[in-house]
This record gives sequence, structure tokens and C-alpha cells, in this order.
Amino acid sequence: MTRHDDELIALLLRDRRRSPALTRWLGTLEGRRELRAYRRTLDALQQLYGDAGAAPRRIIYYCAIPTPIGRVFVAASEAGLARVSFRQSEASFVAELRQRVGADVVRSPARTADVVHQLRAYFAGERRRFDVRLDLRHTTPFQRRVLMAAARVPAGKVVSYGEIARRIGQPRGSRAVGQALGQNPIPIVIPCHRVVAAGERIGGYGGGLGIKRKLLRLEGSAAASW
Amino acid sequence: MSPRPVTLAELTERHRGEIVGYLARLLGDRQEAEDACQEAFMRAHRAFDRLGPDANSRAWLYRIATNTGLNAARRRSHRAARAVDVDPDALPAAAGPALERREELRAVRRAVEALPPRQRAALLLRQFHDLGYAEIAATLGGNEVAARANVYQALKKLRVALGRGVR
Repeated sequence: MTRHDDELIALLLRDRRRSPALTRWLGTLEGRRELRAYRRTLDALQQLYGDAGAAPRRIIYYCAIPTPIGRVFVAASEAGLARVSFRQSEASFVAELRQRVGADVVRSPARTADVVHQLRAYFAGERRRFDVRLDLRHTTPFQRRVLMAAARVPAGKVVSYGEIARRIGQPRGSRAVGQALGQNPIPIVIPCHRVVAAGERIGGYGGGLGIKRKLLRLEGSAAASW
Repeated sequence: MSPRPVTLAELTERHRGEIVGYLARLLGDRQEAEDACQEAFMRAHRAFDRLGPDANSRAWLYRIATNTGLNAARRRSHRAARAVDVDPDALPAAAGPALERREELRAVRRAVEALPPRQRAALLLRQFHDLGYAEIAATLGGNEVAARANVYQALKKLRVALGRGVR
């Protein structure tokens, strides 16, 4: 350490302007060496703890697509598709994502291209099943079992809440199944619209029964007219 | 200056990003930082009534975050040492720094972790969160002179760690 350290640091942090004495010292071999060393120290600090070096914050990418049921938003993390939503404004979709997932939310057609492509084909009637990775981190284990059971119902078919409850080994849990499906973070792709009430009744739908019927009609399901 | 937020919800919403970033730097772990941030905001909730109308609410939030973060770090130090998020060896090789630079980064990182907590906090606040010395003093306690001394002491130690070998 030298007697000029404080002054040199003050200069580099822009706390103070350089004095004539410091300027003279910086002209010496020792002064040049110390200036260089402190600059490298600050650079290292930046590299280790600056934005690039700070522990990466989760980023979630989203995009909006026009569809026959209105604007549909999709959001995907590095792990997979995390959210599909409709009947919502872009601002509230983004705010909800940020809060629920605690991630930085970035609009990116490129990062969501795959699922967007598949959704377009689905709404055009050219695709009946989805092939995407899902990010279900923010659901409970029970919800995940319900959602995965619903995901196995093929387009054109419907099953009852009670049947899903049986399939996950909780035959008396049809009410809880209905609740779990009502909170499906990835509707359409996880086809909770294919789950209906017993006795040829349409049941409920978070997105509104009009949309549930539209989706079922698109899939050529008889349940669309229930 | 933006107008002072009226509610705690507004205040935490506005500063959440930077507070989590600060805790991540302090703790070296994003998940722990998220947890500590949640705890800090709960403490803030309990103390919000005592925040005077003229107080610097941002520095106040940083103070709570610092206390929470340093507590978390103390608790953790009783557990096994853990790997730090930024591994210089993991930097992409193509754009990667030369071996010598990697050594420097490693040395500086170790030195940052070895700093006394207040010096480390003061340095991070000054370099990455745009807090002036008065605000750092409001955050860590003490006066501006002490706040500045903490930052300078920290940098001198890091410079020493970087090595005398720099020509």
C-alpha cells in the first residue's frame, strides 16, 4: 500500500478530482502500476458482481397471438411452457407473471416460437396434440397429478371430473379435481376443457363456457353442444 | 426524485428488483436472496409505522435488507461452506479470460467474501446500487466519514488480494 491509495481510490470512484500531487505521482512507475492494479480490481468486481456476474435472475419470455378465441398469451421459462392465458390485458398478464413466478418478464417471439407455432396449427385445425416441455414448478404435487391426467385426454374426447379423480387414485376427489383444473396455469395445451361434469353436462371453465364450447367444437367433440 | 411511495406495497414493489439483486450479491445465491428479501419485507411491514415522513425510505429498506442478509449469512456460516454462484472457471472459454485473469478473479472473490460484513455491504452499495455515502451511513449506521472509510478499506484489501504482481 502507498500513501496515495485514498486519493487514487477517490479519483477512480469520482469522489474527488485529482490533486497536482496525485497527478505527479501517477506519472511515476509506482503510480502507473497502482492505477492499473486498482482499475483491474474494479473490473474484477464488476465482472464478479455486476449484472452479468450476479446470480442470474429467472427470466420468463412471453408472446401474444391472435386466435379465434381472442388474444392468447403464452409464457415460457428455460424449463418450458409456464403459462397460457386469454381474456386478459397484456399489462395484467405481465404483472401476474412477475408476481407469481418472481421472474423478469421479457417479450420474446423468438423464445416462444415453438409453442406459438403449435398453437397456431391447433387453432387452424391442423394439430390435435401438443409437444412441448412444461414448467409446472409453481403448482402443488396434487395439482400436477390432476393436470397430467387431464393432459392425457385426447382431442375429440371428454372425461368427467370423477373419472380424473379415479385415474389419480382419489375416487372421492372430484371436487378437488375441479378446483385444481380451475387453476390450470396452462389451459388449451393442458386440455382442462376436455374435463366435464357427469351426466353430459359441460361443467365449468375458468375462461368462460363460451370458450370451452368453442375449443371442444374445434376438436370435433360432441360435448360442444351440451 | 420520484415521489415518496405512500404504502409499503408501493415501496416494496418499486425496490424489489434492486433489493433482491443486493441480497444476491451479499449472499452469493439467488434463491437465498429471494428468501431473505421476503423476510426483509416482512420485517419492513412490522416496522413501517415507525418510518418517519421525512426518512429516506429507500435507505431504510436497504438497512432492513442488510440486517436480514447479514443474519442469513451468519446462520449459513454455521452450516457447511458452499460453492459461490460465479465460478470463473465456468466462464465461456472462447471469450474467457486468460489464466492469469482467472486467478485474479478468484483472488478478488475470495477477498470480497473475507471482508468484514459492513465493509462488504458498503462496497456493494456504493458500486452497484448507487448509494451515496450519506445513504450508506443511513443504511449501515454511523456517519458519512465512516461509510466512505468502509468502502475505501474494502477496495484496498481487494487490491492487495489482486496481488503485487501487476506491472
